[in-house]
Amino acid sequence: MARPRNTQQINGTQSSLAKGRATRTPSPETERPTGPLSIVVPISERDTVKVNHYNSTELKNACDDAVKRYLSRPELFKQIHLHTDVRLALGWLSVFVAAGTALYGYKIEFEKSKTVVSIGLVVYILLTTLQTLYSYFVESHTIFEGKRKSLSKRIITERIHIDSTTIPVSKSPLTTSVSPSNSPSYLLTVSYVRSTNGGKSLLAKGRAKAAQTYSAFFDETGTMDQEVFERWVGELVESSMDGKLA
Amino acid sequence: MLDQAIQTLKKQGVRQILLQVLNIAAILTSTFMIWNGLAVVTNVESPFVVVLSESMSPGFERGDVIFLRKTASDLYNLASGDIVVYKIPEKPIPIVHRILEVHTDFNLELSVNGGRQASRHRLLTKGDYNSVDDLALYEGLEWLEDEHIIGKVSGYVPYVGYVSILLNESPKFKFAVLGVIGLFNIFQRE
Repeated sequence: MARPRNTQQINGTQSSLAKGRATRTPSPETERPTGPLSIVVPISERDTVKVNHYNSTELKNACDDAVKRYLSRPELFKQIHLHTDVRLALGWLSVFVAAGTALYGYKIEFEKSKTVVSIGLVVYILLTTLQTLYSYFVESHTIFEGKRKSLSKRIITERIHIDSTTIPVSKSPLTTSVSPSNSPSYLLTVSYVRSTNGGKSLLAKGRAKAAQTYSAFFDETGTMDQEVFERWVGELVESSMDGKLA
Repeated sequence: MLDQAIQTLKKQGVRQILLQVLNIAAILTSTFMIWNGLAVVTNVESPFVVVLSESMSPGFERGDVIFLRKTASDLYNLASGDIVVYKIPEKPIPIVHRILEVHTDFNLELSVNGGRQASRHRLLTKGDYNSVDDLALYEGLEWLEDEHIIGKVSGYVPYVGYVSILLNESPKFKFAVLGVIGLFNIFQRE
């Protein structure tokens, strides 16, 4: 059900990008709610991100944090903290179980305390196993889960889910030097659902996936070019919001 | 450097701070639980101890870490030649020496499950490097009894215990090591 205004809005966004990012582009009511590209970050609000660019874990973490910051700005998605909360709950519970066991073992002498200490141990091992299973199977590569409710004739609920992984450089015996062409890549997978009527009527569903070498976002000092990164993420997210199934 | 740390902490929000603290707490508790797990499995209050004296040279030197065990079969099978760790009530420090003599009283009438638990041992020990047996160390007792035995030695690792000796004997070293580990954790992410 694409209306002519829809195409105009996208063109408008692209030309304002070309002009520079000093002004805030207003977003009229369209078929598709506001995408992240149309909300501009003022330059003064940015902090520089600098990481050790030889460490691919730090690169991935910097990109993940940038995605989270970019998509949870006001007017955009609200982050769902379920995975963090589960990890915190299980983790702190196991710490308290361990602390309780420690206190008990300290107060009561060894031979008599053995049964209770063993029970505490078993509970601790169970909780730790649960934590590991949860983060391996349920959380997996997720870095961001967000939700947004907007009103345009009816209440529209959107859910977005983002996974990220690092693709290492394929080793060939000839390449031993570290250079931008040899950089590992950042793979981002976006799933998007837009529905109304409390989730019962589906309006749009999209999936998008893209990979880009880390060297496109980080220079030789390790400083992150956030604008380039955000544009890449924004384009990916907006393509999933347009309902393309990749 | 401190205000930069405070700034990064403020930006991260409550959840991130809880996660960082949880990481540190999780390392401490997992170490502790592994220790407890070993203690329960080996049935000894302190599954490994550091050798402090040279009375068992050349077998055990100062700074070796020895592993202890006190399962039912160990208690039943005490024989001369075994190395045990024992503690006399009047003396605060346990001693690791070799068994010279074992005298066992089997008391089958008192036993409930087959007689294994009802035997009573009396031991005489001696350090390998010492020229006399331990009678002088027993503070008036003639023999060591079962209740004085902490455990039997089941293995050892050389030299590793020196870190523990240093940590215990100089408190400055202890605080330095803990401080470095703590700072390292706060400024790093998994």
